[in-house]
Amino acid sequence: MGVALEKFPAICGVLPGGSGILTTADAFINWSRKSSVWPVTFGLACCAIEMMAAYASRFDFDRLGVIPRPSPRQADLMLIAGTVSKKMADPIVQIYRQMPEPRFVISMGSCANCGGPFHDSYAVLKGVDKIIPVAVYLAGCPPRPEALYYAVLKLQEKIQQMKIGHGAGAAPQQERGSRDLGAP
Amino acid sequence: MNTAPAPSRSELKTDQLFVNLGPQHPSTHGVLRVGLTIEGEIIVKAEPDIGYLHRGIEKLCETRSYGQCIVLSDRLDYCSAMTNNLAFCLAAEKLLGVHAPQRADALRVAMCELQRIASHLILLGTYGIDIGAFTPFLYAFREREMVMDLFEMVSGARLTYNYIRIGGVRADVDAQWVARTREFLEYFKPRLDEYDTLLSYNPIFIDRTRGVGVISAEKAADYGLSGPNLRASGPAYDARRAEPHCGYEKYPFDVITAESGDCWDRYHCRVREMRQSVRILEAVLDGLPGGEILAKVPKIVKPAPGESYAHVEGARGDLGVYLVSDGGPNPFRAHVRAPSFLNLSILQEIFLGQRMADAIAILGSLDIVLGEVDR
Amino acid sequence: MTNERVTAQILAQFPQLEKDPSPVKDYPTLRLPDAASLLPVISHLKDSLGFSYLDMVTAVDWKGPVDPAGYVREERAHPFQAKPAAAAAAKPLPGAPYRDAFTLVYALSRFANPLKIFLKLDVPREQPRAASLARIFRTADWQEREVFDLFGIFFDGHPDLRRILTLESLQGHPLRKDYAHAEDRFDR
Repeated sequence: MGVALEKFPAICGVLPGGSGILTTADAFINWSRKSSVWPVTFGLACCAIEMMAAYASRFDFDRLGVIPRPSPRQADLMLIAGTVSKKMADPIVQIYRQMPEPRFVISMGSCANCGGPFHDSYAVLKGVDKIIPVAVYLAGCPPRPEALYYAVLKLQEKIQQMKIGHGAGAAPQQERGSRDLGAP
Repeated sequence: MNTAPAPSRSELKTDQLFVNLGPQHPSTHGVLRVGLTIEGEIIVKAEPDIGYLHRGIEKLCETRSYGQCIVLSDRLDYCSAMTNNLAFCLAAEKLLGVHAPQRADALRVAMCELQRIASHLILLGTYGIDIGAFTPFLYAFREREMVMDLFEMVSGARLTYNYIRIGGVRADVDAQWVARTREFLEYFKPRLDEYDTLLSYNPIFIDRTRGVGVISAEKAADYGLSGPNLRASGPAYDARRAEPHCGYEKYPFDVITAESGDCWDRYHCRVREMRQSVRILEAVLDGLPGGEILAKVPKIVKPAPGESYAHVEGARGDLGVYLVSDGGPNPFRAHVRAPSFLNLSILQEIFLGQRMADAIAILGSLDIVLGEVDR
Repeated sequence: MTNERVTAQILAQFPQLEKDPSPVKDYPTLRLPDAASLLPVISHLKDSLGFSYLDMVTAVDWKGPVDPAGYVREERAHPFQAKPAAAAAAKPLPGAPYRDAFTLVYALSRFANPLKIFLKLDVPREQPRAASLARIFRTADWQEREVFDLFGIFFDGHPDLRRILTLESLQGHPLRKDYAHAEDRFDR
């Protein structure tokens, strides 16, 4: 599928009215992608309990098409739910790299956004966007399941904007963290 | 045809395999890594590796005021935040020499027992998922949402409440809250029978958990296990009975124990504890005294130099807080005696000789929360 | 058996122990005079007096107020200030029992006739060593590893003394009062 998407814009570009095909293709592909965002089950701390509540009976996430997948190889969203300690930073990057593209990250909760209540601790990473690129930041300590819904809906809006003409059917994927200005 | 005979079992060359269980794993209940050396299906060595959620809370407490430390204490055992608050506040009150008023004590007991129900419901749901049964998770969380509604009515938060304060509780409950809680208790009592039908006496569940991970009473005491993990092996040690606090001596409840100390016993002790929590809650609501909810505590809490230790029966075990004051506005030293940290230490022994699948069942039955293990 | 009777029994058996001048509130607290008396006292408490449950092993650093350099604070300038305000070092409080030593605190419990007793042992800062209780109580294994990790106190006879909570690359022992955090690759 990815190979076909890579060739598709080049083929359509030379056809008359090709960009119109691309727009329809974009709409179709984005609709299918946003309606089945599958997160990898990755809860770190307290926010994980609210994430579990979002999957559970009252706030059933399945109606948005969001099903948790245990393996990052089968997921396209990573919900960083909880405090990122420095010891956990390398495993998180490893798991992120195992996810196939297009992949997204929602930073859930204050700890993942900026370190949260533990911002001055010797053992806490001040925000997960120092190591991986984040698509949506969700504030709260912990954010309610309804807030998590809102974050996923915002992510769906972002997915809606993606264009396959910009490369391999995926938005430009960064390798570095959103705030990682110092790394080579 | 030149076919060599198949090698006999003794000639087969086997190897040991090192497998990481975690830190990202659906069943580790948080970020726990256990390095398993396995030979076939059997675990020959298990090395738990913790610290993936170490946030340095004990160090942070030394620059936070006592009131701010209560906020941090919520995030220790995040499935059971009320009991964390309570342990910290009791230790601070001992340092100050104040006692909470009777109504505050009764409300504290009510909140802690509701919290125990909510926390054991999480165990019920997630233990079912670990074993492979998904449906009880949905049932358990449906009831848990009702408990969170009650907490939200009284404290404004669903998970980290910051409700129990030094000297009492933060806000009073009204008649509507009492009525809703009674409604919930009436609704909840038959649900416990439903869980027994759905999960506890399910033949597959019993096969997976009966006789698995047996911990003897001596080993449990030796490793410092507490809570349902200890009581399932025999000793009837419950901090609510051993050193009653907040008026627990007034309320009728049984200390739930079992004999064999296997996974099923640990799980079922928690289910039966929920029934006892319902009993305590009914007694509290029937006899809720009137009066103040907060004792006279100075605005800036500066206890005289001294040390105190307070322990409560958290949902996971005996949760203790050791506070040292040097006369300043911040604790000089705050140490949390975390039950999950000690419960987890038995893993290196109890995993040996078990199959991988049984290892997941044992880990789930210990009901650990990594926020408390790593602090 | 009440607190007083048990305390009197222990003091009769080990006359070198003394009641701690600043006890843990509402609990009998005894102070050990030297590191050599730790193992005999603990063994006696476990074998003869029924204290078969080790609740807690922890330590307190009595050096003084905590150094703000141990916290990773991003000093950002306020818009109306010329330079960022440095974190004020806490002033030592008068009357506070500071001394240049660690104190190891042990809590033991008994199930029958529930009782909890605290033992304290002072350990010098330059050579912080104590005997390990891991052979007597298995629970001391991880708790002593935690004390070693956070304070740097060595436990002789411990089967596997290495860090348990903090990052491998962390230098120093974080819960010491004079801990100064060295910036690592995650702090930038």
